[in-house]
Amino acid sequence: MMYKFPENLYSDIRIEDVFETRIVITNGTLDEMKEKSYTGAFIRVFDGQKWYYSATSDIEGIQKELNDLAQMAVQNEAIDDDPVVRQFEVNKGDFCEFTGENDIRKVPVEEKKALLVKYTDQIRERDCITSLRSHYVDNKKTKRFYSSKGADLIYDFQTTGIRLSYDLKDGEKIFNERYECASDQFKDLSGREGELNAEFEKAVDFLKNAREVRQGKHTVIFSPLAAGVFAHESFGHKSESDFMVGDETMKKEWVIGKKVGAELLSIIDDGNPTGSGHITFDDEGTKAEKTYLIRDGILAGRLHSASSAAALEEHVTGNARAKDFEFEPIVRMTTTYIEKGNETLEELVSGVDDGILVETIKHGSGMTTFTIAPSLAYAIKDGKISHPVKCSVVSGNVFETLNEIDGVSDSVGLHSFILGGCGKMEQYPLPVGFGGPYVRVNNLNVQ
Amino acid sequence: MINEKYTLKTEETSINVVMSDVESIRKKNITKTGFRVYADGKIGVAGVIGTYDEAEMKGKARAALSLGIDYPCEPTGNLKRGETVVCDFEDGVKFTEEIEVTLSELRKSHPDFIFNNKINLSTEDHALENDLGLNLRSRISRIDSSLLLKEKSSPNLLDGVVGFMGTKWDRDEYLRFANIICNGFSNQADVENGIHKVILHPMGCDFMNKLYTELHGLKFGTGGSIFAGKIGEKLFSEDFTLYQSVSSEDNMLEFPFFDTEGAVNEKDRYALIENGIFRAPYTDKKTAKQYHLVHTGAAGGEYDSVPTLSPKPLVIRKSEKTIAELLNGETAIYVMFASGGDFTPEGKYATPVQTAFLFDGERFIGRLPQLNLTSNIYDMFGKDYLGTATDSISTLDRTPLTFINMKVEKI
Repeated sequence: MMYKFPENLYSDIRIEDVFETRIVITNGTLDEMKEKSYTGAFIRVFDGQKWYYSATSDIEGIQKELNDLAQMAVQNEAIDDDPVVRQFEVNKGDFCEFTGENDIRKVPVEEKKALLVKYTDQIRERDCITSLRSHYVDNKKTKRFYSSKGADLIYDFQTTGIRLSYDLKDGEKIFNERYECASDQFKDLSGREGELNAEFEKAVDFLKNAREVRQGKHTVIFSPLAAGVFAHESFGHKSESDFMVGDETMKKEWVIGKKVGAELLSIIDDGNPTGSGHITFDDEGTKAEKTYLIRDGILAGRLHSASSAAALEEHVTGNARAKDFEFEPIVRMTTTYIEKGNETLEELVSGVDDGILVETIKHGSGMTTFTIAPSLAYAIKDGKISHPVKCSVVSGNVFETLNEIDGVSDSVGLHSFILGGCGKMEQYPLPVGFGGPYVRVNNLNVQ
Repeated sequence: MINEKYTLKTEETSINVVMSDVESIRKKNITKTGFRVYADGKIGVAGVIGTYDEAEMKGKARAALSLGIDYPCEPTGNLKRGETVVCDFEDGVKFTEEIEVTLSELRKSHPDFIFNNKINLSTEDHALENDLGLNLRSRISRIDSSLLLKEKSSPNLLDGVVGFMGTKWDRDEYLRFANIICNGFSNQADVENGIHKVILHPMGCDFMNKLYTELHGLKFGTGGSIFAGKIGEKLFSEDFTLYQSVSSEDNMLEFPFFDTEGAVNEKDRYALIENGIFRAPYTDKKTAKQYHLVHTGAAGGEYDSVPTLSPKPLVIRKSEKTIAELLNGETAIYVMFASGGDFTPEGKYATPVQTAFLFDGERFIGRLPQLNLTSNIYDMFGKDYLGTATDSISTLDRTPLTFINMKVEKI
């Protein structure tokens, strides 16, 4: 062990080695092309009462930072018996997955640029396009984690992807949409020409043919992407149990075993699937877990850090995550998705006389009222998908909406992202994954 | 060949509050440095976090010239200015002690509430210097309070926020500010569906998002903005003036007075919309040159990026009226949280309101049920725009409140 941990205190050190590539092409002109590497560290000391943190880029000075934090803390001979400290797992070993040919750093930057240029050129001269901004982004983090309990870990993750954002215009009509694909393997980004073309044509069709939505209550079918955001916003944030710590009302409200949704609804958070929400361990050294938040409509679990697990007398779930080395881990989601049901999309649509299909979204939010701002959306008339419609926002009360789900399709799609992510308080953006099947929800407010 | 260096140094003491008490204290001291080289209409950039060898970094920036990234503009030169904005706290120790005392008072005053989240003390040093005599330095110290509150009996994750960003600290005023908000929860108020006077705080509602989107110089220059071709036209209310601002007078404490290209505006503001007339979209040097637009000094980007067009804060000019004058003896709906709303491409706006109060100018009369607000961008800043107050609910919070007539419906 290279660090001397102070006695009678819990402490841990997270060191992040980061590699990033960013290439930006605006209307055919190269605006940015950079690769960078840096290392930063986050150090924590706990005395049983308070936490003391330091974020530093001075890797040589970690021991001094650790010692300085220890000076701020109060020595506690019983620290090993503290309920929080007892929650910490002690994992050891090398769990790096992205090495050798799989390491994104091995792909020459010119190859990454060529890929982006190829997709950019594919749509750049199309009708209706007024502006096209293309991004290639990758990010590889290798984390080392050491704790005074004996954790000694090294693990990594990476994401790579492209995003093409296009402004479209047809007469007075304007619309902007984007195409995005992401993976943890560079090779997965190839061969997407057909997919890009189809998405672009949908956007042009929307531009030319979208009508105003009828405002009011609607039955809404969410696409796998929209369903994932819906799960994340409507329920995922409420499963982040740091909100419950010390809050007796919330403890009663969110008691495990309570019926919170329709029987066909199950929501899962899991750091194990590949993609932008993938983690091997969280930022407290806890192994990633699959956690059912809702199972068959019943509240089945919640997401934890060591502190929240201790406070609620539950167990860590591998959801203590930090945006980067400048921040402390807090309870966050990983990949959150709705479990599949047994209907086809066609069967879900056929059961709607007058509703909306939300295919892509701009953003979502979740408090007591959750919101989804649709981008591509379509009217459903008499059991068939009809014309595109313009909506500014779809919203509903979380507690009521989960019981309004009456149909779930039979396959799950998981989505990854390279730009943006989840925001919680000061920590934005954190990479997460979303997904689900098509999900039908009644009585949502559409504006 | 011109060498340029951008330095960003951040020092911070961040106090995390859990259950109305200090849960953790975070120290941060991080320096990020970007090196740029300009030659023959190209730019090369390299960046580093922490300590570095200057000659090596300059070499990396020079090597990056070979990537062929165009920079068809002159770097800023012959400009020197230094500005320091000081804060009432000089060190994190006294700040932490003061926050602990304040929290103790809050626990006593408001036993029915839980307070969570961050109160930060931070200092940011920005410096931009080059071979052409550019030497700009900004040091801003500030306090950020984003203390979330929740009624203990509430099923919500959060109900309100005692929020401000500023340089002054006054414990009594902070407690008075918290009292105003907490007392608003003691009564339930109601409104009829219809048109109401609504008060919007830019930190609590995204009602200005469409202006950021449509005034983007690239979107405008390529014809994709709803304002395209309308420079010089009167689009909004005579009383509506919109600045791109990094002025500390406008409480813009998150930005230095210069942009990442070293552009500095008179009084650190640029009027994009003036008395309702659309004057200009916001631009950096490259966008202004490419689309023959006026340059407004809106270059941003990371410390190690090529400077790129990025919105600076948009600030509505204050009307010459106070809150009381804008209310004119009436009550209004004060929106504390309106999260998740958006505009359609044409500018129609809708947002749910998670927390709102009926407000009489001095106190929150009671909490309102959840609401929907609807309008459109031209009405919001046109016929339905009532003004932006010269004062605020607390002297700590210098962010102006905007008054707009909007359609309000209970959810």
